[in-house]
Parts: sequence; structure tokens; C-alpha cells
Amino acid sequence: MKAAASLRVELDAHRRRTVIGDLRSASPIRLVPRRGKVAAPGGALTVCLVESAAAPIGGDRLDLHVRVGAGAWLRLVGTGATLALPGHDGDHSRVRVHLRVDPAGTVEYLPEATVIGARADHRAETRLDLAAGARARCRELLVLGRHGELPGRGSSTTHVLRDGAPLLRQRLEVGRPRLAASAGHLAGARVLGSEILVWDRDPAAPSSGDWWSLTPLAHGGSVATSMAGDTATARRRLAEAVGHHPAHRDRSDRPGHG
Amino acid sequence: MAGLGAGTAVLALADARFPGGGHVHSGGVEEAVAAGLITGVADLREFLFGRLHAAGRLQAVFAAAAAHAAAGDAGREYWTRLDAELDARTPSCAQRAASRAQGRGTLRAGRAAWSSGALARLAVATPRPHHPVVLGVLAAAAGADPRGAALVAGYLAVSGPSSAAVRLLGLDPLAVNAVVAGLAAELDGVAGDAAAAAALDPADLPAPSAPALDLLAEAHDRHHREKGRLFAS
Amino acid sequence: MPPDSHGRDHGHGHGHRHPVSLDPAAPAEPDPHRGPPLPGRAFRLGIGGPVGSGKTALTAALCRALGRELRLAVVTNDIYTTEDADFLRRTGVLATDRIEAVQTGACPHTAIRDDITANLDAVERLEERHPGVELVIVESGGDNLTAVFSRGLVDSQIFVVDVAGGDKVPRKGGPGVTTADLLVINKVDLAERVGADMRVMVGDAHRMRGDLPVVAQSLVHTPDAPEVAAWVRGRLSARTPAGA
Repeated sequence: MKAAASLRVELDAHRRRTVIGDLRSASPIRLVPRRGKVAAPGGALTVCLVESAAAPIGGDRLDLHVRVGAGAWLRLVGTGATLALPGHDGDHSRVRVHLRVDPAGTVEYLPEATVIGARADHRAETRLDLAAGARARCRELLVLGRHGELPGRGSSTTHVLRDGAPLLRQRLEVGRPRLAASAGHLAGARVLGSEILVWDRDPAAPSSGDWWSLTPLAHGGSVATSMAGDTATARRRLAEAVGHHPAHRDRSDRPGHG
Repeated sequence: MAGLGAGTAVLALADARFPGGGHVHSGGVEEAVAAGLITGVADLREFLFGRLHAAGRLQAVFAAAAAHAAAGDAGREYWTRLDAELDARTPSCAQRAASRAQGRGTLRAGRAAWSSGALARLAVATPRPHHPVVLGVLAAAAGADPRGAALVAGYLAVSGPSSAAVRLLGLDPLAVNAVVAGLAAELDGVAGDAAAAAALDPADLPAPSAPALDLLAEAHDRHHREKGRLFAS
Repeated sequence: MPPDSHGRDHGHGHGHRHPVSLDPAAPAEPDPHRGPPLPGRAFRLGIGGPVGSGKTALTAALCRALGRELRLAVVTNDIYTTEDADFLRRTGVLATDRIEAVQTGACPHTAIRDDITANLDAVERLEERHPGVELVIVESGGDNLTAVFSRGLVDSQIFVVDVAGGDKVPRKGGPGVTTADLLVINKVDLAERVGADMRVMVGDAHRMRGDLPVVAQSLVHTPDAPEVAAWVRGRLSARTPAGA
């Protein structure tokens, strides 16, 4: 199945509220505004990403294009885990998300976990193109296999650019048991969490703890990372890492909760 | 195409005797040992296998790209971009610091042996260059091709950490040497892949990651501040 | 999972390898004595010797003795990096930012002899941070009698042994004892208690070293190491003006 959904949000004519400029769901990606199509003044507009429980399956090519206009604030949240499953012909599945944020715009992309089921071959690609002065937080929770099953294989690729310059480029490949077990690769973790934060001030120094870290990137922005044997622990560690970000420590109206 | 003297350069750059500061870096081994993740030769073998396919692969890619660019007389703008692209592929501050510390040491030691116009341009663009980039430029200056440069970078990604394990755990050096030698086929593959990607635009170079290495590097840095560590990384 | 790694992190306060700002407009550090600037880089003095022979105490003594007349900085090479540096900071003989500690990867002799990169980096950081620094003392981690400094790292070196290590040490020789520019026999006040014969020790030292100088001292009796300090002054003034 091929599908391309898109979403554009922008400030209203008074430049106070974020409103939906264009919203196109495309099965199996459904975009549903939460609590109306207009945000509170100065606040985030929340849109839910409702994915069909059956997607993506081998052979699927799903695209989501998101554009956040200047000064607008979009919070795009997941409603349930994505389970990648194998198709009939051995073809891979691909989900590509491209987020573009104009100057002074803000995007929060907080999908639920992606589970790579047995025998699946799933490729996730996330690209974040930020204008100078834009803000973003972009989370990923990758689960290798449902409970008690060996995962299939796949990759998760992330590109973050600001003003055209690269802040972060990462491609994590999963599915080789020997690499998954290696202390020099995935160290046996079943769940990998990450959250990219380009949000006003960056942390001055890295923070880390038991299998989590928050590190400033070389050219701006920061990334929180966590690893664990189960989803709850990975989430908790990721939250601890994100909690060390100055935006969380200093603000009462901190970035929203997924 | 590898030139005259290329073999010697590849051997000398990969030699543990090369005085570029590599001996004070364990590549996560000290932290993994402290955490009980490496206790013997078998664990080390698996650790190095994973390290080769993440850090090793990334370093091989950038060494190969640098060697390719150095042979093609790349200008300052290229080196600045390559530096930023490797930064973007190294989210851990501790790993960036370790790469630049070794890069600076390798630049200092290497410029005495294999000076070149590309090396001078690299040093102007990035006075503290990333380690694999300097390796690639030095290898090219000595006549080695991108694959040779990638072999050096990939080999160093496992040989230095293996030596650290010998020092930290008192492992049998004969067994550890056999472990490194046993990675030959994997290393060949990594170097071949890297050489195949060497001519890509820096933005399109592969970006392999290994979260465990990133977290070990950050934990090493934290524990160094809290209670001291023998190695710089 | 690291069992002892929970808890919060509080930012990194240690000497990370960040490039040092070289702002010429920055206020000059308080310097009680402005000697004439030396040509080129600082004079680099290595202090080596076995564990416990008193290298750090001698370094502190030299800082006390020479700190008023020379712009000084120190590099320490500890096993766990900060022990000797912390000692120097605690004794207050030197401002904290004039001390750099390097990690040696469990091989202190490699770091001063075979691959001097980490120490060169530290020396250069000090020179960048303190333009005009005249003397950088590089104190090695405690090692064996064969550990000497590379001439690529230091201009001159002192090898320190002590009487508590036994009066046979000079006789055993090794490059430290035989080739160092100055051999210091430390803790002579303990000679009687440990049954060391000073005449034998000093005699052996001279025999092993030919014309090279030997100083026997006790920092209990002479806390500022006047003989060694005088020797260092001599090396500095004899330094060829070519610099680096």
C-alpha cells in the first residue's frame, strides 16, 4: 500500500492562534485534530496520529509530510503503538515522516512506540528541517519484537537540519542478533528511546545516568537517549534524560506530554 | 589506486607504536569492564564485533571519504563540511572529544611524516580535526587509496580497545590478538563498504549508530569526574 | 547495567578538552614577578621516578621555591588522574588553572616516552591559557626505574628515588638513574630508620652517572628543595635562546 498524508498548520490572520491550513489523511494514516481545529492563543495545536493496527506491512510505503508555518505550534501525538509486520512477498515496509518548521515555529512529534515484529523488515525515516529559530522535539521509541519474540530487521534513520546545516544524522540498523547482543552495539536492550530537542537554550553540558544520556549536539540542539529491556523502563530513563534539559528545568509550561 | 609506499603508510598508521595519542583511549572498554559487561576474551570478542560495525564503520567511512577528497585536492569548504557531517553523526559529546583529541595527536605526529597540501588545508579548516578524517588525509598523502584508509580506521576502532582490555583485565594477549585477527573478514567488508561510499557528498555518507557505545562513552566521562578513570575515553 | 551509575549528573566541571579561548583582551593573571619573557615556548621540566619516591612533594616544593620568580604550570600523570593534581591544588602552591591532569591509559611510561601526545596536549593547553608561562613541570605517574621522559616532551628531567626504596636502587641503574639530568635522592631523614647507608647510595649514584649531578635531600629539613631549585634556575638560564 502506498499512502501520503500531509498536514500544514499556520498562524491565523491575527497571528495569535495556530490553525490548520491543510489536513489530508491517507489510509492507513489518519490525522485527527484534538479539541478542535484551533489552538488556544499562543498554545499548541494538538493533532492525533491514528494509525491502523494493521499497518505497516511489508510492501507498504507510507509518507507523512508536515509543515509548521512561521510562529505556529503543532503537537502531533500518537495514539497507539505501530506494529511493523512482514508482507507476503518479503518486501520491506517504509514509513517516512518529513517535518518542516518555519521561523519561530514549533513542532512536537511524539508518536507512540514502533514495534518491529517477527520477520518484519521495516524502515523508518524521519527528517526534520528547521528554520533558524524554530523549535522541535521529536521522540522515537523503538521496540525490538513483541513480548517474547525475536524481532525482524529494519532500520531507523534520522536527519535533523537547521538552516540547511546538519545537526544530527543517525541510522540504527537492527535485526542482527550478534550485534543486538554486543555490549558495543545494542547491549541486549530490547527498547531504544530517543528524543531530539531543539528548544531555545541547549544544555551546557551532557548529563547521563543508568543507560540514559542527554547530550548537546555539536552544532546546536541536543538528544536524549535511553536503552532498556522493557518499554516502561526505557520511557522512564528517557524522561529522566529529557528532564535535564533546561526547557524542562526552567519552565512551568514545559513541552507537553505525549 | 594505491601508490608507492602506500603499504608502509597503512601499516605505520595502524601500528600501536604510532604516537598519535591512541593508547589513552579505550573506546568504551574501560566503562564496559567497570559495568561488568566485559569480563573475559569471549565478551571482548562480541564487544569488538559490535564496535567494528558501529564506530568502526563510521570511522572507516569518513577515513575513506577524506582519502578520496585529499587525492582530489578538496578545498577548505569541503573539510569544514566533512567535519560538520561527522559531528552530526556523533551525538555523544565524549565521543566527539575523544575523536578530536586523537585527531589532533594524529595530525601532530602525522604531519612530521606525511605532509601534504590537503593536510595543511584540513588543519586550517579544522585545527582539531576528527580522527578518521586526519587518518584519511595522511593515508592519501602517503599514496594509499580510500580502502586502505578505511582499513586503518576500522582496524584502529578495534585494536586500541583490545589493547585497553589487555591492560585492564590482564587478558591473555595471545588470545586477544587472535580475537582481533578473527575480525579480518568483517573488517574487509567494512572497509569495502566505506570505499564504495567515499565519493558521496558528505551529507549522503552513511551514518551508522550504536546507542550502547554512546551511552558507555557518556558514562565513562561521568565516572571519570566522579571517581577517576584510567583512560581518556 | 552499571550497578553504581544511578543518580543525577551535575554537569562536567573537570578539565574537558575544550579549546582554550585566547582572548588578548582578557585580564592578565596576577603575577607577582614579571621576568623577561623567554623566547618561544616554556621550558619543560620532567620529574619522574618510582611510586612514592616523592615526585609530587618535590613538584610542590619547586612551586613554592620558584613560584615567585617564574610563571609556572604543572602537568600531572596520575593513575586515576586527579590525586596528584588535587594534592597540588590543596597545598595551594599553584592556582588551579595552572594544573593539568592527563590520563595515561594504565601506562604511565608510555605517556611520557613512547606516545607523548596526551602530555603535549596538556602542555600546549597550559601555554595557550597562560601566555608567557616560563616553566612547565611535567610530573610522571609513578613507574619503574626504566621510565624516562622523551626528549620530544621535556627539555630537562629529574629522576627521583628515595632512601625508603632501599640503598640498592642507584646501583640497579636503569635509564632513569643513569641518564636523567639530575638524580634526586629523597627522604634522607629516613635513612637511619630504614637502614639505608647514604654513603653507599650517593657513591653508587655518582658511579652510575659519571659527571651528571646528584642531590640528596630531605623535604622535612629543607621544605623548599633549595638545591634542586638552584639547579632548575641554572638550567633555565643556560637555555639556548632558540626556543622551540
